[in-house]
Amino acid sequence: MIYLVIAYAFAVALLGGFLVWSLRTIRELERIQ
Amino acid sequence: MNRYERAALAAVGLMLVAAAAIFLYAPTDALQGPVQRIFYLHVSSAIAAYGCFAVVLVGGVIYLFNGSIAADRFARAGAVVGVVFTTVTLVMGMLWAKPIWNTFWTWDARLTSTLVLWIIYAGYLLVRRMAEPGRQAARFAAVVGIFGFIDVPVVHFSVTWWRTQHPGPIVVNDALPAEMLATFLFTLACTLALATVFIAIRYRIETLIDQKVNAVEPAEVIAAPQPEAAP
Amino acid sequence: MNPLRVAMAVARKDLRSEWRTRELVPALAQFIVLALLIGNFGFQIDSRNAATIAPGILWLALVFAGLVAFGRTFAAEREQASLEAMLMTPASPVAIFAGKALAAAALLVLCEAVMLPALSLFFGTPFSGDVVAAVLLATVGMAALGCLFAAIVARVRARELLLPLLTLPLWIPFIIAGGLAVQSAMGLPGSYQQAIGLLIDFDILFVVLTSLAARFVLDE
Repeated sequence: MIYLVIAYAFAVALLGGFLVWSLRTIRELERIQ
Repeated sequence: MNRYERAALAAVGLMLVAAAAIFLYAPTDALQGPVQRIFYLHVSSAIAAYGCFAVVLVGGVIYLFNGSIAADRFARAGAVVGVVFTTVTLVMGMLWAKPIWNTFWTWDARLTSTLVLWIIYAGYLLVRRMAEPGRQAARFAAVVGIFGFIDVPVVHFSVTWWRTQHPGPIVVNDALPAEMLATFLFTLACTLALATVFIAIRYRIETLIDQKVNAVEPAEVIAAPQPEAAP
Repeated sequence: MNPLRVAMAVARKDLRSEWRTRELVPALAQFIVLALLIGNFGFQIDSRNAATIAPGILWLALVFAGLVAFGRTFAAEREQASLEAMLMTPASPVAIFAGKALAAAALLVLCEAVMLPALSLFFGTPFSGDVVAAVLLATVGMAALGCLFAAIVARVRARELLLPLLTLPLWIPFIIAGGLAVQSAMGLPGSYQQAIGLLIDFDILFVVLTSLAARFVLDE
């Protein structure tokens, strides 16, 4: 069902995006040091 | 690849295994059909969120007790990760509700208290942003976090009580066959692992931000353009 | 220093300074009457549905009036300076906090004294001791919480945004129980006794918690 797909797509996008963004923030902050 | 990236990769790997379990191993629900599979990540996210807010609570209490910066950092990390997982819970829940209950939202106890939960910790993050950084922000946020954590069960109880005064048509059946239970528990474990990795990463970010702020003259901090990545 | 006397002294000071300027209470009273007016037009109230809708309008108006009232308890610059002065005395922060909460609660009670008769007048709902008791009980807990978060946001940017955001989620249990109490006092189904009992429980819980938290929020 379409709702199932949208729900998991959203979860993957949010959790994955958050993970990637956070890891990149670590890289940037450590580089500045 | 630094150790946070390795941990992240491992956590993502676990989530992929969980996804396989959810979509390939778990049976299709007889009543609701495929859409019921939302349940596995939806409930796991809710539990992960509560766990994160428990971290905020404990961190806040410890900070008020002895001023430990590490405790405050954990609280900060827990709040952000908790809000993310609560968002996942709410949105997946709404997308599950629409085909099953024919509405995106109802004001029953669980939905209402989860929404209140989200609002409270969004408020926590705002207080941290708006208050003078350092001791003041940490103290105020700790109080907000503690009250927030207590408020959610109170709201949940209030709405449940209110509902028994005005009984509603929606009843949730919680009986689970063995394969579904196994899939759920496995997904829960993987999600909690993911949440732990998130918190560790955010803790590192908070530590780096603290060091950056302390190393620079206050005037420079105000004048310097904030890096886009800073929360 | 006797904490009770400290609290009363602080409350008296706040109320006296409010009396001297006399700006808040008339404004709140005006706001409440306007809210009732808008409620009438917004909801198309007639004699049949008045008892159903009036409690909702009551709590909406009370919540917004409360946010304004508590926003002001710590707001003024003069207020900040006198607060710091008070904190330097041996008086306990909890007593000072209690005094401020008392004063803010008194202001809210004055608003309720305007609102309940007006509600009864405009919507024909019963104005009974039961309704008054429910509203007063809810005011106690709401005052304690409102005062605590007003103290937090007083020294924070964007306080007009933050105060409702932080306070309203904690006021929800009071609105639920108080709402049901007022509804049942006005003749709708529901257990008045249970609702009042719940209000008392919430009052005790949150008054204790805010007293414990006060020293962390006021102590600077």
